[in-house]
This record gives sequence, structure tokens and C-alpha cells, in this order.
Amino acid sequence: MLKAESTLFYLVLGCYFLAMAIHFVFLAIRKEKLSKLALLVQLVGLILHTAAIVCRGIAAGRLPLTNQYEFATSFAWGLCLVSLIFARRFKFPVLGAFVAPLICLIIGYAAFQNREVRDLMSTLRSNWLGFHVSTAIISYGSFGVSAVVSAIFLFRGRMRDDHFWGQHIPPREKLDAISYRSVCLGLLFLTFTILSGAIWAEQAWGSYWSWDPKETWSLITWIIYAIYLHLRLGRGWRGKSAAIFAVVGFVAVLFTYVGVNTLLPGVHSYR
Amino acid sequence: MLKKTWRFLTSMKFAILLLAVLTLACVFGSVIPQGGTLDEYLGAYGERGGALIVGLCLDDVFHSAWFLVLTVLLVCDLLYCNLIRLPSLFSRMKRFRDPQTAWRLSEAAQAFDEAGTPAGEEAEPKPARRRQEPAVCTVKQVPDAAAVFETLHMKPVSGERAGRKTLFAAQNSVGLWGAWVTHLGILLLIVGFTLGQTTRQLYTVHGVPGQTLPVGDTGCTLTINDFDVSLTDSGVASQFTSDVTMRDPAGVTESAVVSVNRPGDLFGYKVFQNSIGTAAKVTVTKDGAVVQEEVLCAGDYLYVLDTPMALFFDGYYRDALDFGGMKADAFAWSTYYNGVYSETRYQAEGETAISTDSIRVVFSEPQSYTLLQLKRERFIWLVLLGGLVTLAGLVLSFYLQPRRLWAEQTEAGWTVHGESRKGGALFRDRLREAAGENGPKTT
Ligand code: HEM
Repeated sequence: MLKAESTLFYLVLGCYFLAMAIHFVFLAIRKEKLSKLALLVQLVGLILHTAAIVCRGIAAGRLPLTNQYEFATSFAWGLCLVSLIFARRFKFPVLGAFVAPLICLIIGYAAFQNREVRDLMSTLRSNWLGFHVSTAIISYGSFGVSAVVSAIFLFRGRMRDDHFWGQHIPPREKLDAISYRSVCLGLLFLTFTILSGAIWAEQAWGSYWSWDPKETWSLITWIIYAIYLHLRLGRGWRGKSAAIFAVVGFVAVLFTYVGVNTLLPGVHSYR
Repeated sequence: MLKKTWRFLTSMKFAILLLAVLTLACVFGSVIPQGGTLDEYLGAYGERGGALIVGLCLDDVFHSAWFLVLTVLLVCDLLYCNLIRLPSLFSRMKRFRDPQTAWRLSEAAQAFDEAGTPAGEEAEPKPARRRQEPAVCTVKQVPDAAAVFETLHMKPVSGERAGRKTLFAAQNSVGLWGAWVTHLGILLLIVGFTLGQTTRQLYTVHGVPGQTLPVGDTGCTLTINDFDVSLTDSGVASQFTSDVTMRDPAGVTESAVVSVNRPGDLFGYKVFQNSIGTAAKVTVTKDGAVVQEEVLCAGDYLYVLDTPMALFFDGYYRDALDFGGMKADAFAWSTYYNGVYSETRYQAEGETAISTDSIRVVFSEPQSYTLLQLKRERFIWLVLLGGLVTLAGLVLSFYLQPRRLWAEQTEAGWTVHGESRKGGALFRDRLREAAGENGPKTT
């Protein structure tokens, strides 16, 4: 099973990089069919990725969501899933082209992590693990999409006069709205993550909140996006300022995910 | 002046500022190691940095007075915001479902088109709303308005206005409660957390099988009957299990088997398998005679009877000693005289260390000790409720977005207006698309 997972992982890596390449060629030579092909390759990547995660789960006899490698590949999976859903829902296929580099970066990071299947330490043997981590994946994926859409928003001005961009990239106010929708999804799922983490921590350690760095940083991320919502609603922060804020918010997400484990000590620093 | 200050303190601007300061506090609290000693901070951050950290309580951010003040301010702010908005929410909901307000809104939008005043301003005169995009989207000359309502999954009510047929539908007006419910949830969370932290009874007991230990100042004792560490084939500790018996002051006993993720219950205390560590038997002899023999857990002190000396057991380390290439595991322990640190030694099992002319210390029998946590906390339900209410509030805010459609039949077809509180451009697109699907799109 692990061998199958390994083979699938390389196929997934190939699919995501190929999809990114096709997306880029599409942007360069502007042939419509290429965009569809790139999304299809991305979708095939996602399906193989799901199979890889399932294989690893079977081989390990548990949910494969516990160490840096497993979480990194799941993060890429979540990002790919959310971006494909958003691309479809908001009729914005070119989104795939802009999310692809981020997916490749994360899956590339996963490739450099230790892929060995290790036994779970006692605290991780809980039914809450699956819920806690899978909501985190969707949440991080949504924040990733919001950051990418916001980045497109920030560069949209430079593409203004071009018919191609006009046709494929929604107007700025729609980009703004899409970014807002993905922040909403991300914040909702982050709330699930934090709450399930607290319930689990109560069972495992007898303390549902102990200001551990990972907990604290997920709270920081949560407050940052709450500030984003209030700035939009109360101070009329739309467009550019909201877009910059969403990109900065994602830096906090990345720090919560990678930075805390590597730079700050705490109970979540499993490697 | 007072009025101005009050206005600021109750504004959303202040709420945002408060949240930003809290974020910063959390950053400090996670980046600066918490609970260290002054010497550690002076060593790590230099003379001024260390003094600043301790002076501003950045060494214990989350229990500092200023963090508490920020939290209290947030609670007051949330409470005030929610209280003053409660009556207006009912009327906002009522107004949202009232077709008259919708017509006033579209008339205002038309006035904007013609005269240049922002659409929706008359209907929503609050300053906070002024900078928002126009709330109304209008599509004219739609042949079949009912189909537009159907495409957007909205059930219209027919009416008449100035002799013209009208349709109106309002949906998700309950979503107007989203922010209010979210804030209520956060309030419950913070209040439950603070009450829980300040009123909870928390005791830790650690020891090895066979020991009977006091549970804080409760008068109860806890006997560790057994402790087991399960290892997987690859040597990872997959489970820790303690079998314990608690005896209350009246002599009544209750027993439980506790493991990680499976807490037990003894006399109303929840008992958690919190962690484990190394323990060892330490034997102290004075002038050749054994004066003390005890099991000491890593992190514990042993006060040597009738001397100013204390032993501190640091831990048991693999291959810490090197006898000319031969590695050996070692017990690390420190001596203190009159409370002042003297030295740390590494000593192999059974090896005798001479501490003073007459005192000798031997460490032996390394084993695992279990650390159990006993807790009585009454407000967890409030925190959980707060969490669920917050979640419900977010779902209301984000996924039950209030929107309404209203239409009027004219000679040239239907004029359809739509308003979505937060849908913005996405809702306008959907409306235009639905109208386009059901007839020629003219605006
Ligand atoms: C951790 C703290 C807070 C969180 C997580 C939070 C969350 C939210 C959410 C989710 C919304 C709805 C936003 C949207 O639908 O786009 C909202 C709106 C709002 N919040 Fe907060 N909030 C917090 C603190 C505060 C405080 C302290 C105030 C006090 C002034 C406040 C005032 C408001 C107001 C006035 C609205 C607009 C409501 C509306 O017009 O529908 N919030 N908040």
C-alpha cells in the first residue's frame, strides 16, 4: 500500500506541476482549450491525490493527518479542492492558474518531508483527530484561495485594457466578493478547528485551552480575519485594502501551519 | 469631550483597535517563552530587553493585569454593542420584510441615477453604511419576473402599487441576527473561560505504583495501584494507563482506570492521564547508615533530614556517561545548600556519590512515573455553549444572507430590483443572469 501511495504521490506531483505548466501556456498563447485541459489535469491530480491519501490511511491503519508530511499533502489537497469548487461556483476557471503555484509549493514542501509512516503517540489516538485536522485543511485551503484571489485583485488594474484578461478575470468588485466568500468559509472552518481542538485537548490533557503556541496562533489567525470582516463592514474596507489584508492574513495562516511547528516550542510540535 | 470619548469607546473603530491589540498581545505571548525567570530573560534578551519583558509582564502575558483589562474591555464592548442593537434588530427584520421599504430603496436608487446621491442612503442612513456599494440592483424590461424569482429560489407575494402589478420576496431575514449571535457566543465563551479558570480546582499528583499521595489540600489521597506504558512494535508509547484509587477524608474509596484521551471520574473530579516522566530510587546514607530511601520523580526535591542539603532529581538520560568509549545511562541530579544551587552530577546506576564527608547518595531502579491531573471545573458547559452559539452566528452571518427581490410590471415588461446585504457583486451577477435567462437583458 505504501508503495502505491509513493507512486501515486509522484503522479500527483506530476499532475499538479503539469497543470501549472498548461495553465501558464494558456495564459501565454491564450488558447481556450488549454484552460479546460489544465483544469482537467488538476482534477485528475486531485482524484489521484485522494487515492494516495486513502492508500496511506489504509497502510497506516489510521487517518493520515498527523505529521508535517501528511498535513502538507492534505493542505495542498484542501487548497486544490477549494480552488476547483470556487472556480466552478463563480465561473472563474483561470483561478486554477493562479492557485497552481501555491499548490505546487506546498506539495513540493511535502516532498521534502520525512514520508515514513510512524506510529501515533498516545495523545493523537483520538476520534477528534480526523475532524480537527480535516476542518483545518478546508479552512487553510479557503484562506489560500482568498489570498490568491486578492493577489489577482491587486494585479487586476494592470490587465485592464486587455480583452483576454477582461474575459477571463472577473471585474474587481466580483474578485473582492469572491475573496470575501472564501474568507467566510475559512473562518467558519477555523472556528470548527479551534473548537474541536479544544474539546480534544480537554480529553487528552485536561485543559481545553492552555495558550500553547499553536492554539494561540490559530486564535491570532481567527482574530485577524475577524478584524478583516469588521473593517469591511464597519470601515468600508473593500477592494484594495481588503485585498492586502487578506494576503497578510494568509501569512498568519502559513505561520500557524509551518512557523509554529518549526520556530516555537509546544505540544503541537510533532515532526 | 465625554460624549466624544464615549462615542469612540462604543464604536466599531475601538472594537477593531481592541482586537488588534489583543492580536499583538497573543503574538508576544507565543513568541516570548512564558513563565521563565528574570535571569533567563536577561540572558536571552540582554539587560534592557529582559527588564522590559519582566516589567511589562510579557513573561506571563495571558495572566497579566493588562491582558485582563483588555479582555474586560472586549466583554464590555461586546455586551454594549449587543444590548443597544437588540431593539433595532427586531425592527430591521420587520423592515426588511416590508415591501414598502424595498420600494423606497429602489426609488432612492433611481434618484441617485438621476441626481447623483448615493443609492440606499435614505433607507440606511447610518454612517457605517455610507461607504458601502449601492445596495440595489435593477434590471428593466424583463418579460417574466416570476421566472426570475424562481431561478433565484425565492417565492414571491403578489401585490399592487399605483395600479401596477407587483411581486415581492424577502429571504433569510434571520441572517440579520448573524453578527449579534456571533457576538453573544464570543461573550459566553470569554465569560465561561474566565469563570472556569478562576473557580476551577486543579491538582496534580505524580508517583509510581505502590505510592499513596495527598491530593492537594483536599484531605483526599490517591493510591497508584498500577501504571502501564504500552509500546508499539517500533517503540512509540501508544498509551499510558494508570489504575488509581482515591480515598476521601471519611475513608470512602473510589477507583478508576485512566488513560490518555479517556479521563476517569473520582468523587466528582475528572482525572486525566496528563504525562509521564522518570522516577528513581534514591538512597541517602550518613556515616554508613541509611537515613532516607525514597522514590524521587524527575523535577522533585529531596530534603536530606537534619542537614541544610536538598537533592534535585533532573532526570535519567540515555548514554550520558562515557567511560573511555563505553556509554552508560545516567541519573542527573543537583545539590542545593540552604536553598542555593551548588552543582549538577551525572551518576550511573548504583554508583555512590559523596556529597559531604559523611553523606553518600545512590540512585537506582529507574522507572516511569505517572502524572495525573484532577480537575473540577464548572463552566465548561458555558464555554461549549459559547462555541456552538458562535458557530451558529457565523453560519447565520455568512450563509443566510438576507436578500430580497421586488418587481413591478410596466408597459415595457417587468422592472426587477434586488438587494442583498452582503452578496454584493455576486448577487447582482446572479440577478442579471437570471433576468437575462428569462428575457432580453437591457441594463
Ligand atoms: C473577537 C471578537 C469579534 C468577532 C469574532 C466578531 C465577529 C463578527 C462577525 C462574524 C460579524 C459579521 C460580519 C459579516 O457578516 O461580514 C460581525 C459584525 C459586527 N461586529 Fe463583531 N465581532 C467581534 C467583536 C466585536 C466588537 C467588540 C464589537 C463592538 C463594537 C463588534 C461590532 C460589530 C458590528 C457593529 C458588526 C456589524 C453588524 C451588522 O451590521 O450586521 N464586534 N462581528
